[in-house]
Amino acid sequence: MSSNTPMSRTGEAGELPVDASGPAPLVRMKGVSVVFGGTVRALDDVSLSMIQGEIVGLVGESGSGKTTLCRVLVGLTAPTSGSVELGGRPVYELLRKEPLAFRRRVQMLLQDAVASLSPRMTLGKTLHEPIAIHNLPRQETTLRLQAILQRLGLPADVLAKFPHQISGGQARRVGVARALVMQPEIIIADEPTAGLDVSVQGELLNLLLDLQQEFRLTYLLVSHNLNVIRRVTGRTAVMYLGQIVEEAPTRELFGRPAHPYSAALLSTNPAIDPQHRSRRIVLKGEIPSVVNPPSGCRFHTRCPIAQPRCTNEAPLLTDLSPGRRVRCHFPFSLDPQR
Amino acid sequence: MDTPLVKIRGLKLEASTKRGTVHILRGVDLDIGRGRILGVVGESGSGKSSLASCLLRLLPGNITHLGGQIEFDGTDLLKLSDSAMAGWRGRRIAMIFQDPMTALNPLFTVATHLVDVLRRRHPGISRADALARAKAALDSVGIADAELRLKAYPHELSGGMRQRVMIAMALLVEPDLLLADEPTTALDATVEAQIVDLFEGLRRKFSGSIVFISHHLGLVAQLCDDLCVMYGGTVVETGPVAEVLANPRHPYTRALLACEIEAGDEGGRLVSIPGEVQDPVAPHVACVFAPRCAYAVDACRSTVPALRNVTVAAMASELSAMGEGRRVACIRFEEIA
Repeated sequence: MSSNTPMSRTGEAGELPVDASGPAPLVRMKGVSVVFGGTVRALDDVSLSMIQGEIVGLVGESGSGKTTLCRVLVGLTAPTSGSVELGGRPVYELLRKEPLAFRRRVQMLLQDAVASLSPRMTLGKTLHEPIAIHNLPRQETTLRLQAILQRLGLPADVLAKFPHQISGGQARRVGVARALVMQPEIIIADEPTAGLDVSVQGELLNLLLDLQQEFRLTYLLVSHNLNVIRRVTGRTAVMYLGQIVEEAPTRELFGRPAHPYSAALLSTNPAIDPQHRSRRIVLKGEIPSVVNPPSGCRFHTRCPIAQPRCTNEAPLLTDLSPGRRVRCHFPFSLDPQR
Repeated sequence: MDTPLVKIRGLKLEASTKRGTVHILRGVDLDIGRGRILGVVGESGSGKSSLASCLLRLLPGNITHLGGQIEFDGTDLLKLSDSAMAGWRGRRIAMIFQDPMTALNPLFTVATHLVDVLRRRHPGISRADALARAKAALDSVGIADAELRLKAYPHELSGGMRQRVMIAMALLVEPDLLLADEPTTALDATVEAQIVDLFEGLRRKFSGSIVFISHHLGLVAQLCDDLCVMYGGTVVETGPVAEVLANPRHPYTRALLACEIEAGDEGGRLVSIPGEVQDPVAPHVACVFAPRCAYAVDACRSTVPALRNVTVAAMASELSAMGEGRRVACIRFEEIA
C-alpha cells in the first residue's frame, strides 16, 4: 500500500479486525482502559477480538500492558472503562451471575510453571482441587483427567509426586493438564516457552498446537520470543505503553511492519542465517513511564521518523487493510528492507 | 603469528552434593584468540557460566576438584596462589554479569563504582583525574548527562543504564580478557539492541578478547568471531562462527540449529531434541550427547570422544594456533558429514 492511499478511519474504537461476513468473535475487547490509582494508565483504549480456534500473539516490552490485558481477559482486573465480551455477553455480567462457569471457559497458563504448583501438595491434589472447587462430576472428570495426562505424555505415577520431584518440562505439562481439565474455550498463555531450552521448546509448542486442533481452543500467546510468535500465531498485536500500536496477520506483520515501533522491535531479532538478516534499527532511550506518557503519539520520543505532527496529535488506530490496523501518522515509513 | 591469549586444556570442575559428585566441566579444551570475540553457547547446565567462573577462579564452596590448565599468556591461572589470582581479577580479567540489578552495590553511587575500578587499575590516580575518566567512560557507553549520572545510585537507573555502567566499569579496567555472561538477557528487546550495538562498537575501541556467553544463537552469530558449543560440561564444537553455523559438524550443533525457528520456516512440526540432558552425576565414560544422538553407535557409548581438528592434518596445527581451526568432539563426524 502506498502512503498516499486514503485510509479509512475506524468508525468506532474496537471495530472488528475481520470483515463483516466472518464469524462472530469469541472475545471482544472494546476501548478498554485500565487506570491504577488515577494516574497509571496501564491500558489505554485497547480493542482486541479473537475468533474461536484462532491463535493471537501479543508482543511488547515490559510496561507495555501485556500482563494487564491478560488479567482483564481472565477477569482478574476490572477495566476502568470499555467493555469485554465473551461469546457476546459482557464479562462483568458473567462474573457476577456465573463466576465459576466463566473461569472454566477462560484458563491461563502461567509463566513460571514450577512456581505455579504448590510445593506442599502432590500433583494429584493440585489437579483435583479445581474439580472440587467447580463441583464437577467426580468420576467423569477423573477419567477425563487421566485421559489428558496420557495425552500429554505424563506418567500415571506423576499424581503421587510433589512439584520438586518432576522436571521443568513436566511441570509445564501439569499446568496444561490443570487448564484442560476445565474444558476451556480460551487459553491465555503467558510466556509459555520462557526459560525453556531451545531443544525442548518445540515439543511444548507442538503439543499446544495439537491441543488447539483437537479441542478447537483459542489462544492468546504472550511472548518475548518473536520466532515463536511468527511460527505459531495467525495474528499478532504489538503493544507499546498501554496501547496496541499495530495489529496484523502475523505473516504480513513480519513481512513488512507498518508501525515504526514494530519495525524496530522485529529488527532486534537477530537471525542465524546471514541471508535473513536485516539492518537493526536501534531506538534511542528507553520506554517512558505510563504515569506521564509523552504527548501526541506515545512513541514519538523514540521514533526515528517522528515529525512535528507526531508531538501534538495522537494518531488513531486506523485500518490499513482487512485485519490490519496501525496507530501511526506515517505507516510503512520505517522499513528496514529498503 | 599470534598464539591464543588463553589456552584451556582438560579443564575439570567437580562439586560434591547430596546426590554424589557432580561433574560440572568434564575436560574442556578451548582457545581464546587475541582480540577476538568468542561466543559460548549451550543450554542450561551445559557449563558455560561455570567456564567463566573458572577463568575468574570465583567458585562456590562445595567445589571438590578443579583440574586441568588455564594458560593465560603463559601463566597457568590454576597454579596461582589465591592472592596472586586476586591481583588478576579486575586487572587483566573483567566480568560483566547477567543481572545488572544485583551486580552494582546499592549503597554506592555510580561515581564510587567507577573510581574504585580506576584506583585499582592506576594506584595513586588523583580524584579529579579519576572522576574525569569516569565521566568519559560513561560518555563512551552512551549514557547521556554523564555528570549527573555519576551522582546517581543504582536504584535510580533503569536496567539498560545499569548494564551500561557495568560495561563502563569493565572497560576502565582495560582488561586483556572481558567475560560477559548473558549481558543482555535481563533487558527488553529494544534496550538489548542498544547494548548489542555497544558491543559491536567495542570492536573498534577495545583491543582485548571477549568471551560472550549466551543461549541466543542468533545474537552470537551476529556479534562473535568464534563459536564454542557446549553440552553437558564439554565442548562439542568450536570454530569461526560463520563456518560452524553454515556447516555444523557435531550432531548436537546440527540438532540445536534445527530446533531454532528461522525466518523461512513455515508450518509443519517444530523440531526438538528427544530425551533429556544427561545427569551430571553420571560418570564420564562415553559421549555425553550419545543418549539423545540420532547417529550414536555402540562405540559412542563406550568412548569419550576427543576434540579433533576438522581441517587437513598438515594444516591443522597452524590453523588452530591462529584460533581459526575447527574442532569437533565426535568420533563419527567424518562419516555423517
